Amino acid sequence: MSYDRPQELLKPVKRRFITLTFALALMMELLPLPVGSTRWLPDFVGLLILYWAINQPRRIGIGMGFLIGLIVDVSTNSLFGQHALAYSVTTYLVMLRQRQLIMFNLGQQALVVLTLMLANQLTMALVRLALGSAFVGAGYFLPPLMGALLWPLLTKLLLLPYRHHTL
Amino acid sequence: MNFANTPRFSNQGLRPGSQLLLCVLTSLALLIGDSQFGLMDRTRDALSVVLYPIQRAVNMPMAAAAHIGEFFITQTSLKQENAELRSRELAQSARLARLTSLEQEVQQLKALNGLRTGSLQAGHLGEVLYTARDPFSYKIIIDKGLDAGLAAGLPVVDERGLVGQITRVQPLTAEVTLIIDKNQMVPVVNQRTGQRSLLYGYGGGVEVRYLPAAADIQPGDLLVTSGIDGLYSEGIPVARVTRVDRPAGASFARVLCQSIAGVQSSRYVLVLPPRAAMPPRPEPAAQPAKPKKKKDTEDEG
Repeated sequence: MSYDRPQELLKPVKRRFITLTFALALMMELLPLPVGSTRWLPDFVGLLILYWAINQPRRIGIGMGFLIGLIVDVSTNSLFGQHALAYSVTTYLVMLRQRQLIMFNLGQQALVVLTLMLANQLTMALVRLALGSAFVGAGYFLPPLMGALLWPLLTKLLLLPYRHHTL
Repeated sequence: MNFANTPRFSNQGLRPGSQLLLCVLTSLALLIGDSQFGLMDRTRDALSVVLYPIQRAVNMPMAAAAHIGEFFITQTSLKQENAELRSRELAQSARLARLTSLEQEVQQLKALNGLRTGSLQAGHLGEVLYTARDPFSYKIIIDKGLDAGLAAGLPVVDERGLVGQITRVQPLTAEVTLIIDKNQMVPVVNQRTGQRSLLYGYGGGVEVRYLPAAADIQPGDLLVTSGIDGLYSEGIPVARVTRVDRPAGASFARVLCQSIAGVQSSRYVLVLPPRAAMPPRPEPAAQPAKPKKKKDTEDEG
């Protein structure tokens, strides 16, 4: 919320809606997409976790980030605990500065999200390197950029059901 | 714009720092347990059964779109394809006739020599459900599992050549590690020279390692499975050599290869049955699921 714009009162968020968004994001993970697209498609679940951690810190905290990370680990067939570790670290970072983050406008938030998503990828890359995988190249750090670019759109979309008036 | 957040008045639960510590420790334990000791396999199996219907549901629109696309195909293209197939069948049948006579000849020769013949049985056709999005591992998930009697270690091919090997079997699905995955090895033989070697995946491609710098290998050589590992049946095309570097100081040549099969693009794959006839080993047998254990036998052969 930035103070140069009129402030808007929003309806309270339902738990059902949060679950639904995560279910949709997980289904995106399971889609049989062409091989090349995984190189640049952002990590939707990671983005959502950041979104809800920034906007609803009471609902999605470090523990939820960890649990959702475990589900992502299973559905993407990566090592158990890899996404869980990355998500719990980034949600912790969000929690440290949540009061500040929520005051930023979308552009500033996108920058923060970029850093956090990069931290996600870096954590996972470090874990996999430590456990003996080969490095996959700098292209691995492209999805966070796409994610940050999508951030304003995602925010607008997720706010739609909670406006009192219709657009 | 933000949601109406009620501030946290009373201190509830653990502090963020301790929460993080707990989560990090748990995930590190899980990571090490999974990667080093394989403790999580049962959990993964159970969860994969839960995820299976979702996977199918997500696959359905894609499959339907493909089906509709096939339905609205023009007659001219059908006719053209028909004609092409007809001419190809003619050519193939001529080749087939020659091959059958050759096969008989080989059978006779092998019978004369008292060799065992590797019988080719039908395999299980599997559809690729999805490629794991984890960019560090080159694996695909197919829609056949324990229900079709698959087991870890079975080779997987497509219509052109070797794709990989089954590494994990779940009740309804199976995980195939592609030949381009890091640490995945295939014993191969150079079809032109008959020289045996090991084909290593390095994560995104394949190369032949530990081949003497003076070895007779050149770009364009076809590498097929040698079949002496007791795992892959012999003669499955695996890769074609694309570049051979012979660095002056090194004792090994650097041989880059291109896989023959559509390793990351085929939609349908065939899981070959296990090889039945294998003579007993003189020494205690190594685990059949891991071809890297077979390196010593490779050197003897």
